[in-house]
Amino acid sequence: MADESLLSEDLLRQLMSVGEADLLVAIPTYNNAGTIAQAIQSIEDSYQQNFVRDRVAILNVDGGSSDQTQQIIASLNGKKDSIRRGITSLRTVHRITTQYGRSPSQGSALKVVFSAADLLRVKACAVVSPATTSLDPAWAANLLRPAYRQDFAFVAPLYSRSKFQGLLARNLLYPMSRAVFGVRIREMYADEWGFSGRLASECGSQPMDEAVRARPEAWMAVNAICNGMKCSQSYLGPRTTVPSGGPDIVETIRQTVGNLFYCCDAFQDHWLDRNGTESVQTFGSDHELTPEDAPPRPDKSFELFRNGFQTLQDAVLKSILAKDTLAQLKQIAAMDIDKFDFPSELWVRVLYDFAAAYHRTAISRDHILQALVPLYRGQLFSFLADHAQSTPEEMEADTEALCLEFERQKPYLIERWKAKN
Amino acid sequence: MKDAIVQGLQQAYQNMSQMIAQFLPRLVVMLVIVLTGVLVAYAFKYAARMILRLTKLDRLSEEAGASKVLRMAALPSMTEVLSRSVFWITLLGFILIGISVLNIAGLQEQIARLLRLLPEIVVAMLILFLGLVIANFLSRAVLLGSVNRGYGSAMLFSWSVRFIIWILAITMALDELSVARQTVLAAFSIVFGAFMLGLAIAFGFGGQDLARKFLERSLAEKKTDDSDELQPL
Amino acid sequence: MAPQEDKLWYKDAVIYQLHVRTFCDSDGNGVGDFRGLTNKLDYLQELGINAIWLLPFYPSPLRDDGYDIADYTSVNPTYGTIEDFKTFLNAAHARKIRVITELVVNHTSDQHPWFQEARSSRDNPKRDWYVWSDTDDKYKGVRIIFIDTEMSNWSWDPISKSYYWHRFFSHQPDLNYDNPAVKEAVWEVMKFWLDIGVDGFRLDAVPYLVEREGTSCENLPETHTVIKELRARLDDAYPGKMLLAEANMWPADVRDYFGQGDGDEFHMAFHFPLMPRMFMAVKLEDRKPIIEILEQTPQIPDKCQWCVFLRNHDELTLEMVTDIERDYMYDSFANDKTMRINLGIRRRLAPLLENDRRRIELLNGLLLSMPGTPIIYYGDEIGMGDNVYLGDRNGVRTPMQWNGGWNAGFSSSDPERLYSPLISNPVYGYQSVNVEAQRRTEHSLLSWTKSVIQTRNSFRVFSRGSIDFLSPSNHRVLAYVRQLGEEKVLVVNNLSSSAQAVELNLQSFKGHIPIEMFGRNLFPRIGELPYLLTLAPYQFFWFRLRRI
Repeated sequence: MADESLLSEDLLRQLMSVGEADLLVAIPTYNNAGTIAQAIQSIEDSYQQNFVRDRVAILNVDGGSSDQTQQIIASLNGKKDSIRRGITSLRTVHRITTQYGRSPSQGSALKVVFSAADLLRVKACAVVSPATTSLDPAWAANLLRPAYRQDFAFVAPLYSRSKFQGLLARNLLYPMSRAVFGVRIREMYADEWGFSGRLASECGSQPMDEAVRARPEAWMAVNAICNGMKCSQSYLGPRTTVPSGGPDIVETIRQTVGNLFYCCDAFQDHWLDRNGTESVQTFGSDHELTPEDAPPRPDKSFELFRNGFQTLQDAVLKSILAKDTLAQLKQIAAMDIDKFDFPSELWVRVLYDFAAAYHRTAISRDHILQALVPLYRGQLFSFLADHAQSTPEEMEADTEALCLEFERQKPYLIERWKAKN
Repeated sequence: MKDAIVQGLQQAYQNMSQMIAQFLPRLVVMLVIVLTGVLVAYAFKYAARMILRLTKLDRLSEEAGASKVLRMAALPSMTEVLSRSVFWITLLGFILIGISVLNIAGLQEQIARLLRLLPEIVVAMLILFLGLVIANFLSRAVLLGSVNRGYGSAMLFSWSVRFIIWILAITMALDELSVARQTVLAAFSIVFGAFMLGLAIAFGFGGQDLARKFLERSLAEKKTDDSDELQPL
Repeated sequence: MAPQEDKLWYKDAVIYQLHVRTFCDSDGNGVGDFRGLTNKLDYLQELGINAIWLLPFYPSPLRDDGYDIADYTSVNPTYGTIEDFKTFLNAAHARKIRVITELVVNHTSDQHPWFQEARSSRDNPKRDWYVWSDTDDKYKGVRIIFIDTEMSNWSWDPISKSYYWHRFFSHQPDLNYDNPAVKEAVWEVMKFWLDIGVDGFRLDAVPYLVEREGTSCENLPETHTVIKELRARLDDAYPGKMLLAEANMWPADVRDYFGQGDGDEFHMAFHFPLMPRMFMAVKLEDRKPIIEILEQTPQIPDKCQWCVFLRNHDELTLEMVTDIERDYMYDSFANDKTMRINLGIRRRLAPLLENDRRRIELLNGLLLSMPGTPIIYYGDEIGMGDNVYLGDRNGVRTPMQWNGGWNAGFSSSDPERLYSPLISNPVYGYQSVNVEAQRRTEHSLLSWTKSVIQTRNSFRVFSRGSIDFLSPSNHRVLAYVRQLGEEKVLVVNNLSSSAQAVELNLQSFKGHIPIEMFGRNLFPRIGELPYLLTLAPYQFFWFRLRRI
């Protein structure tokens, strides 16, 4: 049931005017004046080209933009469809806009989207990011179609990435979530994704913990998986974004790994007894990797790893990691930078120890996540050193091997999960 | 003279025997009371544990987040903490009663004073406990933050924070107990002030470079290391 | 004697379109005739219409339902005589009903004496009355209109051994308007009927009158010149008579057929593109198709008028829609390919709307409240059905259903002799859908249609007023205000199948009281705030806005 208390009067009125819709594309904005017009146009084009007979709406949820974003949107809403000989589209394309808060929060934005989707009884939704400059009309369609026409609850994107893009996802998020939840979704943490109206209702009726608010899409995916709903992936293309600060690695790990650990905790009944993984249906091409020059060796990363480990090992890591894991880390932390190697097996054990510690709240959960950062840096350094000259195929093979390692060590996770300390 | 000494010794021996004769029964009574107290305290502890388990206190405490705090302080569950508290409070009560039976002059007064001080003692212990927990938490937070930002003196920062909070907690606890109030206050001011002065000097003179680097890092981009340029997602 | 002259009578008309053959048979030969039609004029008068548009009744081989004319100045004997026609005309005028007939001047039947002469030899004086060529290469690229039956716009004449031009069926050769004699002959035809007392002509297929190499052969300046000439002569000799153009084109292109200034070509023209969009809007539950086409409709001279209609004797044409819209219309209304012909759908109003009384009323409400002169196709006022298994467009031209008895009261002949089988299925058959049954019921579709026509006729604002569209945020509601002087009518239509709430910005009418025009009940006064209305599925309101 929609949480009507979330909805302002103005938004409710706008939803009333729409009545019922088949498709809804949501654009959460915060200071996106430079790209919002193009994003909205892209969605409209997508509707015209792919869903000309369907009842469609575009929902902008704004987090209190202080630039011209809201003004631009208002001016777009007032603009009439360009009239030419004949009709541009069969139906009115509804544009709804609302401000959900005074500061941006993806989770709060999604809550409004869920409510709107529920009230409009939409069959399929998609969320797109206005910061994505490579957004084209095919994207929204590729995210909506599987949910709309083929009953998939969650549609994750697939991108064409350059080699060194998305390494946190490649080395941690994807393999671990795949092993734990048993479903091979490549990009569970994304800025564009699709979902069914049914999943929106399901997620809208649950409270959204603080831990998942920054990355609600992953939580939605896990919800879908654990409720037995079908998931899929849809190829979109290369992804480029507006260059911006973005959160630093600590915050990123907090948002993503924290989300992942939280989901492991909240949905433990689902995965503790399960083994193996299954692939999901992929629409369009599979994940693509394009060659890229290796970045310069991040010596600083290694330094941060070594110093970090040494500083934290007794004060913090001892409460998190198993004795063996700690001992092995100590060994590799003592290695020379040129010979440094962070083995996959150890990396997996580290993560599983961290997940278990998070589960039993060995120390403050936020501290657990922060403590992971130097170790991640070490792993990253090792990875970059190993793959500086790899081909995309070799890198993919390595990722697959890492995934299998995560799967192989799942019993270890379960053991650590159930242990008292 | 020899007789006087012998008489004196005999008298002293008699007095001591009398005292012991008078004291022993009281001691026995005290021991009985304390033993009874132990038994009663255990009984109360088990009763309390049973009642608290029936009320599912542990689950409530987990939901309220209090259990997390206890785990962080390496304490057992809420039920266990409370039932053990019941045990110790009961036992303490019986011990005090037992001691009062000994009828040692002056001791009664002290016991009465101790009993009057009990609430303040409890509060002071609570302050120390909280201080410990907070010191632990904050110092760890500072440690992690500094490590992840690449500051060389992460441990120093961490310990400084811990030290400050400890000093604060101890001072507050002593103040609560009204123990040498003015001395404690003065000492606190001196120590704290000196510490801050030391930090200021360190930053101002000896730590110029460090301070400069710190400020630069704070005002510059969030990039802490080279690998931060790569897009993680 | 024609009704008292009001030169702009056509603006206030409610036209009833019928074919004399389909309406009523008086002599038992299975075909309707003028005497039968005359007998039914009371019915038409009671219905409330004030003009009849007759489909071609001239002598014809009937290979195109009478649009292939073999004699312009006579009546097909099956339908009666010229005298019968005159009797009918006078009776109609006596009931204040005007009569509009067809003037099919783009082409004749190949059985017409003119063509018979023209083809007899290349030297015949009438040779040039038609468009001939030794090859079929001329006017290359010009589109074929009857794509289902014709392969080319040229046909070979074996008699004169040359090709002749025809934009329609091959048995309908096009007249050559570059020949002054043709124009003169056409004028004579017009004079013949005008002298009898006919009130106006519907000119069939006007865009195609003139051909020129290297063009689409449609809407050429020369065509307009021909029309201007005819109009000038008409105004001169027969003021108050009306010319109605059949030009199936975008409104901006039709505009040219009204001419310049006050309008020196046609008085009226059909608004073809609006018609499918009314159906589309109701199916989509979205006012967008209607609003968009009307926004693209240019202003026309004050003395001119659009003709609006829902259905007619032809297929529901989908020429003037985009491919996307056409596909949508086909899928929504003519899933069965038997229902499709040329670029259209050969179904009647009621079957198109799945016999949903509410939708039928809604569309009629739109028809009668939109700007323009409405045309009601015979039988639609009782919700007649169709027969898509009859050839060509004959499925929508079946006998009028008067009662549930012998031959639906249309004819006393043997049923096998009828010019067309009756509709007899349980849903639309004459046993259940007929005038007699509906006349007896206060709440029948016929009674309702009468009442709504009467309401429309009571207020000139519908026929002559301006239109201003409101833009409520609820896109399923189409709302507009018609205004003529002080008279204001607010029309609100719920295009959707579910109940709707709508808030209308009526600030400019603040202080007015809406009076619902059918029940004449007062509604709350219009204030500062948006005016809230709730509508049942497919419901519409007509409100008079009065300042009291």
